[in-house]
Amino acid sequence: MARRAKTVHSFFWGIPAFLWQTLFFYVPLCFLLATSFVKRVPSTKISHFSLEHYAALLDPIYMVILARSLTLAAITVCSCLLIAYPVAYFLALRVQRFKTILFALLILPFWTNFLLLVYAWYFLLENNGLINTMLLKFGFISAPIHMMNTYGAVCCGMLYCYLPFMLLPLYSTFERFDERLLEASRDLGATGWQTFTRVMLPLTLPGIKTGALLVFIPAFGEFVIPSLLGGDKSMYIGSVITHYFLTVRNVSLGSAFTCFSALFLIFFLFILFMAHALLNREQKNA
Amino acid sequence: MHKILQRLSNAALAVWVTGAYLFLYVPLLVLVVFSFNKITFPYHWVGFSWHWYQELFVTSEIWEAAQNSLIVGASSVVLSVTFGLLFVVWSSRNNKHYLMGAFYPNLVVPEIVIAVGLLSFYIFFNVPLGLPSLIVGHTLLGLGYAIPIIYTRYNALDQRIIEASLDLGATDRQTFFKIVLPLLRSALVAAALLIFILSLDDFLIAFFCAGSSAQTLSLYIFAMIRSGVSPVVNALATLMLVVSSLLVMVFCSVKVKEDIW
Repeated sequence: MARRAKTVHSFFWGIPAFLWQTLFFYVPLCFLLATSFVKRVPSTKISHFSLEHYAALLDPIYMVILARSLTLAAITVCSCLLIAYPVAYFLALRVQRFKTILFALLILPFWTNFLLLVYAWYFLLENNGLINTMLLKFGFISAPIHMMNTYGAVCCGMLYCYLPFMLLPLYSTFERFDERLLEASRDLGATGWQTFTRVMLPLTLPGIKTGALLVFIPAFGEFVIPSLLGGDKSMYIGSVITHYFLTVRNVSLGSAFTCFSALFLIFFLFILFMAHALLNREQKNA
Repeated sequence: MHKILQRLSNAALAVWVTGAYLFLYVPLLVLVVFSFNKITFPYHWVGFSWHWYQELFVTSEIWEAAQNSLIVGASSVVLSVTFGLLFVVWSSRNNKHYLMGAFYPNLVVPEIVIAVGLLSFYIFFNVPLGLPSLIVGHTLLGLGYAIPIIYTRYNALDQRIIEASLDLGATDRQTFFKIVLPLLRSALVAAALLIFILSLDDFLIAFFCAGSSAQTLSLYIFAMIRSGVSPVVNALATLMLVVSSLLVMVFCSVKVKEDIW
């Protein structure tokens, strides 16, 4: 039987996916890396190896852009966690009836195009949008607050669009969470705060990590939301990449910047990972 | 004292959750309401009208873009689910689970890097940009999702059922089509829905790899938002919300959640 199974589930079954992956994922990434080292002389049409593009990236302006993208991604992760954690807890452990419906309602907005979600915020944030109209009507303010094209608007839009990436892993972690542990902790005399920090938080940490990673990585490369809600005031990593590839068509410099940012991201995540490992070891020693 | 604190924290939790739902739904509600507004300048309510929907239906560019999006979505769903299924069955049967790791980077590498990588690949080989070049990119994303989803379900299957089928004289082909496929149906539906939505939602890969000739829904919406607020976009958003709520209902009713998350 084993022999027969092998004959049909032969090598050819695995080939299409593997070929696709190699040809369109790994080869292009290698190309990206390779083009970042290539300098083309337009007059002679001869290409040669050069580190020139990486040297150009030493300009401090690129550091500012990287730091800006990093900050925005970090803010997005924190705000998503703040909103999503209690909601996931409530939905997974406190709700008995209508659980499916409430869950469906929670993920529904994100099955629509995210550009439409961003667009929706125009109606709330504009000078004569809903928030200002309401505030004016109830007399909290006398003149409309300027909200569009500010950093706050960008953060709000990022939070709105990236929320599900945090919600879903947290929800599934809480679904597997044994609620009796909370009761046990309280029965044994822990306060609510102690129960939270010593029982609930450590046990849901894997979900938090997954969610944070799922939000952080795409948020780091995001440029559409900042450009739509922040009014193109400041450049982000994504806008620089777009600029080089599509506007000025300097593919080599664009590739160099892309590789550089990707390396920066990997390096940053690596540092976080190391810090976490060190912290764990110290805790074990103590 | 303890009881009061308990009640207080419960109330705070309830307020927080209600706030979160409001945060999610107020913008959408406003979006939908203004699609029925009578005037173009959209920030205050004048009266009810179907005008923007009529305009939406006669704007041929939108329907062309929607058609393109559907073609891209459907093709990448078919390609990635088929390839993914074949790969999962093959690698599980031959104990090559570690090869699955080759597909995880699709989810971890930022989408913009994948898009730009593909673009530089296309530029180097002078591949004309258009719908096919876009389908390639979306299938990559799709494989990243399809393989883990199908893999989880396939390995949760009772392998003895498959052995029994083979022992009882079914051929491999029969076993695959009559036993394995029906058992994997919920995972396949979940993966297909998810990939379709991702493809419709995707902006970055379309932005870089579709070229100037092929317009997808995402690119069209982006261009429209850029050129200013128009209630036609609201009407389009309302329609898309209706469609996606139908899809969510399918998603939740096939009880496939546990296969994914």
